[in-house]
Amino acid sequence: MNLLHLALKDLRLLFRDKMGAFFVIGFPVLLGLFFGVIFKGPDSSSGGSGKISIAVVDLDNSPQSTKFLDELRKNEGLRLEIDENEAARKSVRLGQRSAMIVIPTGFGQKAGLLWEEQPEIQIGVDPSRVAESAMLEGMVMQAVATLIGDRFQQPTMFLPSVTQARESLKGNQEVDLATKLVMGTFLNQVEQMIEAADRVQASNQATGDGGGFEINFANVKRVDVTREVNPSSVSGQLQKIRSDWDISFPQAMMWGIMGCVAGFSMSIARERSRGTLVRLRAAPLSKTQVLLGKALACFLACLLVMLMMTTLGVVLGMQPLSYLKLAVAGLVTSFCFVGIMMTMSVLGKTEESVAGTGWAANIVMAMFGGGMVPVMFMPAFVQSLSRFSPIYWALRVVEGAIWRDFSWAEMLPAILVLIAIGLIGTIVGANILYRRDD
Amino acid sequence: MLVIDQVVKRYGELVAVNNISFEIKRGECLGLLGPNGAGKSTTISMMVGLLKPDSGTVRLDGASPDSNATRRLIGVAPQALSLYEELTPRENLTFFGKLYGLSAAKLRDRVAWALKIAGLEDRARHRVHTFSGGMKRRLNIAVALIHQPTLLLLDEPTVGVDPQSRNHIFDWIEQLNADGMTIVYTTHYMEEAQRLCDRVAIIDHGKLLALDAIPQLLAQHGGQSVISGRLEHIPSDFSLPGTLLESDWRLESEQPFDVLTRLAQSGVRFGSVQIAGPDLEAVFLKLTGRVLRD
Repeated sequence: MNLLHLALKDLRLLFRDKMGAFFVIGFPVLLGLFFGVIFKGPDSSSGGSGKISIAVVDLDNSPQSTKFLDELRKNEGLRLEIDENEAARKSVRLGQRSAMIVIPTGFGQKAGLLWEEQPEIQIGVDPSRVAESAMLEGMVMQAVATLIGDRFQQPTMFLPSVTQARESLKGNQEVDLATKLVMGTFLNQVEQMIEAADRVQASNQATGDGGGFEINFANVKRVDVTREVNPSSVSGQLQKIRSDWDISFPQAMMWGIMGCVAGFSMSIARERSRGTLVRLRAAPLSKTQVLLGKALACFLACLLVMLMMTTLGVVLGMQPLSYLKLAVAGLVTSFCFVGIMMTMSVLGKTEESVAGTGWAANIVMAMFGGGMVPVMFMPAFVQSLSRFSPIYWALRVVEGAIWRDFSWAEMLPAILVLIAIGLIGTIVGANILYRRDD
Repeated sequence: MLVIDQVVKRYGELVAVNNISFEIKRGECLGLLGPNGAGKSTTISMMVGLLKPDSGTVRLDGASPDSNATRRLIGVAPQALSLYEELTPRENLTFFGKLYGLSAAKLRDRVAWALKIAGLEDRARHRVHTFSGGMKRRLNIAVALIHQPTLLLLDEPTVGVDPQSRNHIFDWIEQLNADGMTIVYTTHYMEEAQRLCDRVAIIDHGKLLALDAIPQLLAQHGGQSVISGRLEHIPSDFSLPGTLLESDWRLESEQPFDVLTRLAQSGVRFGSVQIAGPDLEAVFLKLTGRVLRD
């Protein structure tokens, strides 16, 4: 019970110290958010969905323009967002969207009619997105082609155009009589063909056969040509990442834990320099209980940090693959860093010396272990050095649970390393503390 | 109650406590008087089991202070303020009370009592770092008392304390002692020892130089009283004892009042007279050859 009193007192002291609390909570959260945004990279216009974001300005607002946009939306790679002309242009210029499409007034009257001059569809694409530009133009052409097909599915839509052509031919003095005769005959036949087609379509619709003409400009079928990558390569690892926060939040957890380690290692020196250690040792407690109380407080603080970071990460979109494995990762990581805290607490005799050496050790561990730059992005020789950092092993188990999809067998080596570090650190630190206080 | 028997404690070459032996009776207030570095705090630390003697034994009611049961009998107020300054006095008292096994209503009652006697009831929810030196000292002692110890060890409890808080602490200690609590009080202020302690142990360079009740110490080691004064008239044929420098007169005597009566009867007229009796300062000077606050 005394252990719990000691631990709760230390946790209370930790969170009463505003700067200490900042390094345990505030700083890691800011770091996680910062690196999360950085890892999101320049493709922020996709909104993280992998789609090309397109601003659409529909000046026509006709059934045909709506149909055209519906066709475009069928492309999984596009995300259309209706906007005003100026706002759309500005969003592309600011890099918030990849491109803009302007559908002109009168689009619905002429689009899909082969003999009419086609309405001008304006496309504005971010110049840095050459590939997307060509792809978008192809998708626009495909949507227009669909409108042409639609026109043929409703043959009577062509009749007003035939009547208008006949009137135009009749009143034109520049066309000679023979030509008028031939053209008039042609238009009559077109009219009869349209009426016949309409009858067939009506008949098919009545019998449920579907109907009309169906025009396919190309018959495209996608085949699976997904590139095979080495799962341990950078690309292979990155393929597993499902959220912008998958890398940054485990890193943030490590910084929070390092904040706990620094805070609690200093607290042992502080107890000594401020005399409270004398009172604790004069109380009916063994030295072991005093040290275990400190260790328990550090352990609980580390777990709390991991829980908070996980919760925040999940709120932002992180989706841990296994909460059970993450819980185990949290327990062994916390245990490991309790041992490190115990050793760090004896690196100096004053608060200042412990704080200085503690943070220096933290930064070196983070630098090599992937707490700053993910290990996969490091040169090979630095990657081999990273194995000596506890942060590396802690990130292995945490990431293994969140996005690497590790099996228990894959997690086991890192778990054992973390437990070993925790045990060694606790034994070394406790022994030195015992001797020092005698 | 507390027996210190031939205790020695060394720090390397330095002998901090050199073969000290004494016994403290139940209900007694014993003063450990000596200059800084004399070995008082080291002795206190061995009494509470914080330090192990290199040789000799410390026994409280026959048991070693290492044991948890014995430690529950002891309350210690270290010389350095041993408080969590980011916590409130209530939180400090509650925390240490729990360490000594207090809980529930008993703990609440003791915390309320400690806050009251420390005069901190209205500051119970303020953090300790906002307190004055005197308030912190009072709380430091209150924490030592939270578990109702039978032996209270006070190590220089008035260092850096304003006169008002000092008097508060003195009244408090006298009341605790009157209620039967055994107190060991270390100080280098002889006035404190003279006011509070039944017996005084004089320690210097780790050695116990003398231990007795104050009147006995004064009688054995205090020397004579000193009479000093300004004389207005001396009869022409009178042989004045002592030293006279212009009209300032000084004389050491074991019977100062008899001397003054005899001089007055002889026609000596006094402008002013002072009699300074022997004190612990004089005792310390006699025993060590130097003044207490060196």
